Amino acid sequence: MSAYWIALRIVQEILRDRRTVAFILLVPLVVMTLVYYAVSEDEQGKLGVISRGTARLFEGDLVRALEDEKDVRLVTLPIPDDEADPAVIERRIREMLRLRQADGVLYLDEKLLLDRFDGRQGKLNLYLEGSRPTVTALVLKAISGAMDDLAAAMPVVIDASCSAACANSVNNKAMQLEKHYLYGSEDYRTIDFFLPVFPPFFVFFFTFILATVTFQRERLRGTLERLLIAPVGLPQVVLGYVGGFFLFSGVQAAIILAFVLALLGFAVTPAQVGSIVAVTALMLVIALLLGLTLSFTAQSEFQAVQFIPLVILPQVFLSDLIWDINAFPLPFQWLSWVLPLTHANAVMRNVLLKGQPLWQSWPPLLTLTGFGLAVLAALALMTRRKHALGGAE
Amino acid sequence: MLSLEHVVKQMGSVRAIDDLSLDVPEGMLFGLLGPNGAGKTTLLRLVMGLLRADSGRITLFGRLPPTDPAVPRLLGYMPQQLAVYPGLSVVENIAFYGHLYGIAGAELRRRTERLLEMVELTPRRKSPVGQLSGGMVRRVMLATTMVHQPRLLILDEPTAGVDPLLRLKFWEWFGDLRAKGTSIIVTTHHISEASRCHRVVFLRAGRVLEQGPPGELMARYGSADLEAAFVAATRGAESNSAAGVQ
Repeated sequence: MSAYWIALRIVQEILRDRRTVAFILLVPLVVMTLVYYAVSEDEQGKLGVISRGTARLFEGDLVRALEDEKDVRLVTLPIPDDEADPAVIERRIREMLRLRQADGVLYLDEKLLLDRFDGRQGKLNLYLEGSRPTVTALVLKAISGAMDDLAAAMPVVIDASCSAACANSVNNKAMQLEKHYLYGSEDYRTIDFFLPVFPPFFVFFFTFILATVTFQRERLRGTLERLLIAPVGLPQVVLGYVGGFFLFSGVQAAIILAFVLALLGFAVTPAQVGSIVAVTALMLVIALLLGLTLSFTAQSEFQAVQFIPLVILPQVFLSDLIWDINAFPLPFQWLSWVLPLTHANAVMRNVLLKGQPLWQSWPPLLTLTGFGLAVLAALALMTRRKHALGGAE
Repeated sequence: MLSLEHVVKQMGSVRAIDDLSLDVPEGMLFGLLGPNGAGKTTLLRLVMGLLRADSGRITLFGRLPPTDPAVPRLLGYMPQQLAVYPGLSVVENIAFYGHLYGIAGAELRRRTERLLEMVELTPRRKSPVGQLSGGMVRRVMLATTMVHQPRLLILDEPTAGVDPLLRLKFWEWFGDLRAKGTSIIVTTHHISEASRCHRVVFLRAGRVLEQGPPGELMARYGSADLEAAFVAATRGAESNSAAGVQ
């Protein structure tokens, strides 16, 4: 019978805490939705095909062969059909790759057929974005599948100047695929795509948890009230927290960084290491401010703890950490824009995988700074309303 | 020292402070008495600027509003909760609060020693506060509240959960502090122990029910102790309001 009363008491308490009820019911649905979109959509590379001169004769065959490949989706590139200058075409292709309008572009230039007729293999140019090894692998796999069909579509060489043996060797010769990487090289491994985002992710994750719980404890214990009536301003409280956490998060970040540098399959410059440290430090401050602010809105330690999955889970799924955000419906893509980790991940990959200097990532850095300032403003507003502390008789 | 004029504070659907006026002269040990929910803590939070009054006027030290930047250094506050850091030692807790108020070095060490002596915790100076008994933690709190030598000390239920012998000790310390020039406002629902105050106020439903020196109030209600006087005053008010309703 006692068990009945204990159960009843628990039901009554939880039912009266609407936030907890909503949390229990909604979080599994949100997580399942995210998992559904993350894993149900097979990843595809975006591939463009451009041909010029006599090579245009074979574009149709190649496109048909590629359409049968599940690993790529063909995209049309906005390059004028009458643009014939190879240098201009190459520049435009690189621009399309940089803007991620395509992950790869297959360029059949006018020399393809001429080379074949001259008894050479014939060359296909494949331009690859290169910073996403999994997508690059999909594009390469699809192209290799379609190459036989393209070779079969090529005219057979029957020429008096070429003996039967010679003609046979050319006709059966696979075409040469010349790869041009916009970023990185063939050596990039799948893990190299994920390693750069580890330092900001782990520092954000642990600092947020520590800040949320520590600040909530300070609040419930009554020590926050004592801080607020002491001659201590909000900037000093925030700076104090940043300083206190910096030591631990700094050591943690250093360990993660050393681990990442040891595992990365390519050399990293001191400037790149400096950029990782700068972005990780910025994420530490943002995690701290967010933890303090959300702690203020929680009425109990339990409510504060609920913020941890609410803040962390969407960022795991929607920040381009593991899954491509383009696999998610539009509302989730909009949501990803307001998640700080989305921008931190973009900066890290720009710096490490694309080899860009830090300043070139100014849009995501500016967004991150704006996010931090907005959270700071919210925190300042809340601490001005000191009665938000609650607990008055 | 502290003056409240027609102060009103609504907390949700409850009028926590209802047109309350009060004067606390300097150098006094002033008791704020009332049952749970009478508005004692709300009143203290208004005085410290943690809450803003809906109407009325509060002035401290003759002319300062609670939000004046000079006020924090002149106020000491000991809340009901055990508001110290359990992972820090007794001395570290005192030092932390000292540093917040700009006290450091030899001066901080001198004050710490004196406070440890006062609250009789010198032998436990290095013990983590989390390992101390409830009564000892209350003593640590008093020490941390006094480290910046405030002119006005606000104590919210300082003897809650404290054994009777230690309660007596606390009241002795309050008397010593007052004798050294600190004004003290103390809330308690151990009403009989407030007879040591120079002046007490009986609060009920956010209003002043009675106020005056304890002896005078006891005489007014023909009671042998302050608690009996408080009960008589409360019952009188209840029967008056019941008559008013009828």
